[in-house]
Amino acid sequence: MRTSEILVIYAQELRSAVRERSIVLNSVLLPIFLYPVMFWLIITGVTFAEGLAEGARSRVTVVGLPEEHQEILDSLRATNVVEVVEAFGTRTESEARLARGELDVVAEFLPPAETILRLPGNFEVSLVYDRSLERSRRARQRVEGVVERYRERWLSREARGMAISREEIEGFRIAGRDVATQQQLGTMLLSETLPLFLVVMVAIGCFIPAIDTTAGERERSTWETTLTLAASRGSILAAKYLYVATLGVLAGVLNVAAMFLSLGAVMRPLFSRAGDQFQFSLPWLAFPVMVLGTVALALFFAAAMMILAAFARTFKEGQGMVTPVYWLALIPLVLGRGTETTLTAFSAAIPVANVAMMIRDAVRGVFLWPLVVETMLVEVGAVLLLLVLARTILNFEEFLIGSYNGSLWRFLRERFLLRRAATSVRP
Amino acid sequence: MAFLAGTIPAAPRRDFRPPVSASPLSTSGAAVWVEGLTKTFYDESRGEVHAVDGVNFQCRPGEIFGLLGANGAGKTTTMRMLSTILRPSAGTARLMGHDVVAEPEEVRANLGFYSASTALYPRLTARETLEFFARVNRYPPELVAGRVGELVHRFGLAEFQNARVEKLSSGMKQKVSIARTVVHDPPVLIFDEPTVGLDVINALEMQEVIREIRDEGKAIIFSTHIMSEAEKLCDTIAIIHAGHILASGSLEDHRRATGKYYLEDIFVYYVRDGGALPVGRSDAGGAAPGADGPTGDLPPSEG
Repeated sequence: MRTSEILVIYAQELRSAVRERSIVLNSVLLPIFLYPVMFWLIITGVTFAEGLAEGARSRVTVVGLPEEHQEILDSLRATNVVEVVEAFGTRTESEARLARGELDVVAEFLPPAETILRLPGNFEVSLVYDRSLERSRRARQRVEGVVERYRERWLSREARGMAISREEIEGFRIAGRDVATQQQLGTMLLSETLPLFLVVMVAIGCFIPAIDTTAGERERSTWETTLTLAASRGSILAAKYLYVATLGVLAGVLNVAAMFLSLGAVMRPLFSRAGDQFQFSLPWLAFPVMVLGTVALALFFAAAMMILAAFARTFKEGQGMVTPVYWLALIPLVLGRGTETTLTAFSAAIPVANVAMMIRDAVRGVFLWPLVVETMLVEVGAVLLLLVLARTILNFEEFLIGSYNGSLWRFLRERFLLRRAATSVRP
Repeated sequence: MAFLAGTIPAAPRRDFRPPVSASPLSTSGAAVWVEGLTKTFYDESRGEVHAVDGVNFQCRPGEIFGLLGANGAGKTTTMRMLSTILRPSAGTARLMGHDVVAEPEEVRANLGFYSASTALYPRLTARETLEFFARVNRYPPELVAGRVGELVHRFGLAEFQNARVEKLSSGMKQKVSIARTVVHDPPVLIFDEPTVGLDVINALEMQEVIREIRDEGKAIIFSTHIMSEAEKLCDTIAIIHAGHILASGSLEDHRRATGKYYLEDIFVYYVRDGGALPVGRSDAGGAAPGADGPTGDLPPSEG
C-alpha cells in the first residue's frame, strides 16, 4: 500500500461525494438541521395543539353534588372553559354519553370513605374520563384543578371554624424538594439523548457513502475501472474505507455541534414553557472522549456497512443489505437507556454500546479511564476483525468481479462453514 | 469530423524517466508475453469450466494483436487476466517484463485498459478524470497538468473539460475514456471490444485512434467479434474459440493457410468446420495451419 495512491483515491471519492445529493443530505445536512428542525417542529406542534385544546370548552356533567358545595359549579363556570352539562339519568347513563363523545368528564360526588377524615360535609370526587382522548384528559385536569382549589378553601374555612391550623386538619402531607440543579438536569437530558443521537448520526453518515462506493460502483460499471488502477487492492480498500469513515465522523461532529447550537435557542425555551429550567454544559474532558468515540463508531460502521454493501450489485440491493446494521446497533442502546449504571468491564466489551455508554459517562462527568481504554481496545479489535474479513472476501475472485450472487451470510456459510472447494465462479 | 485534432501526444520521455518501471522486454522483444494461460471457473450447473485453456501469444511494440472470437470464446477472460482483474489458474503472462500474478500493480501501471465495462466516474469533470487517472497510475505529478492539457486539446475536450462526465454526450464520454486510458502513457494498451454499442462513425473514429496509438510504438491487444475491424486494424489475428487459440498470424498468413480471402470465411473455417491445421506462428497457441489447407474457396484477386 502506498500513502500517495490512497490519498489520490480518497480525494477522488470525497470529491465525488460532495457532488452527490443524497450523500450531502444524509451526511452533512441532516446532522446539521436535524435538531433545529425537529425541535422547531415539536414547538410548533405543541403550540398548535395547545392552542386548539385551550380554545375547546370541556363538557362536564356533575353528579351528586351536595347542596353545601354548590360553589364548585360556580367555580367551574367561572373558568369560561368548562361547560357544565346537565346530568340526565343515572351515572351509568352519563358514562354512556361520555363513551359516545357527548361529554368529556363525569364528576361524581360521593360520601367520604371510612378512611377519609370524618368532617361534616366532607366528600369524595370520582372523575370519569377517557384517557385516550386529549380533550377528555384536559377536561379532567380542569375539573380537578377547580375542585382542588375549592377543597383548599373549604378546608381552610373548616380549620378556622374549629380553631385549628390548616395543617392540623389535614393530618400529614408529603412534600418533595428537588435538589437537582439546572446544570444537573441539563446533564441528565444530554446523557440520555446525546449518545443515542450520536450513534444514529454516525451510522447515517456512513450509510449512503458505504453503499455508494461499493454497490454504487458496480451499478455504475466503474468497479472494473477501479480494479484496473495501478494502485494495490489494499490501497483502494483503505481509501474507500477512510472516505466512508470520514463522512461518518463528519456527520457525528456536525450533529453534536448542531445540537449544542440549537440547545440554547430552541430547547431551553421549550422546557421553560413546561416549567423546567435546564442549563446545558459539558466537562471539557467529555469533548476528547466524544471525538474518540465518534471516530471509533465511524470506523466500525464504515467497515461493517461496506462489507455488507459490497455484496450488492445495485444501490437498492445495498440499502436492503446494510439496513440491519442500524437495528443491531440500536438494540443495546435502547436497552441501556434510562439506566443509571456506568460503563462496566462487561459492557465495555460490547461494540457500539460500549462507546455510547462511554460517552454517556463522559457527559455526566464520569471518566473511568481503564474502561475507556478497554472500550477503545474492543472497538479497534472489532474493526480489525471486520477489515480482515473484508480483505479475505476481497481475495475471492467471484466477489471481486461481481459475479457472486448472494449475501454475506451465504458467502460465509459456503466458504467457511461448508468449505466449498471451488476456486471461482464464472464471471 | 476527425476524432482527434492531431495524433495522441506521447509523454516527454526525453526529459524524465517514466514512473512505470521500464523493465526489459522479453528476449523476443515482446511487450506482452503469454504462455499456457489458463482460467478455470466453477459453474454450479456445469462444474469446472475451462474458459481459457493454455493460450500462448506475444505482442510486440508497434503491433496490434487481435483476439477474434465469438461471445464466450474466452476473449474477455484473457483480457481480464492480462489486466490482473482475474488471476490465472495456470500459465504465465508478462507485460513489459512484469508478471501478472507477482507484480500486478506494476503490470497495471504499464497498462491502459479500455472496455465497455470500464465506465468513467460520473461525478468527476473530464479534466478531473484525466488528472485522477494520471496520478493514480503513477504519472510524474509535476507533469500531470501539462499532459492533461495536451490530451484535452488533442481530443477536443477543451469546451467540456469542466463539465461533469455524467452530463457529457456518449461521444464525448468515449473521448474522455480513451484519453484516460492513455493519459499515463502506458506502453501496453488493451481494448476489449471497444466499439460495442458505438455508432458507425464513432466506431470508425475509435479504430483511427487505435491505429494512431499503434503508430506511436505501443503494443495493443484488441479483442473483437467484428470481422471487418480485425481485418482493418490487426497486424496479427488470433482466432479464439472455447478457450483455445485455433490459429494465429497475419491476415495474409490466414489467407494462405486456409485458401480463403475473407476473414469471416477464415473464421468459419476454423471455428465451425474445425479447420485442419495450424497457422505457422511459432508462438501462437494451438496448431499452425499447413500450406496444404483446403483451397475450395478461391480468393478474389487483390486490389
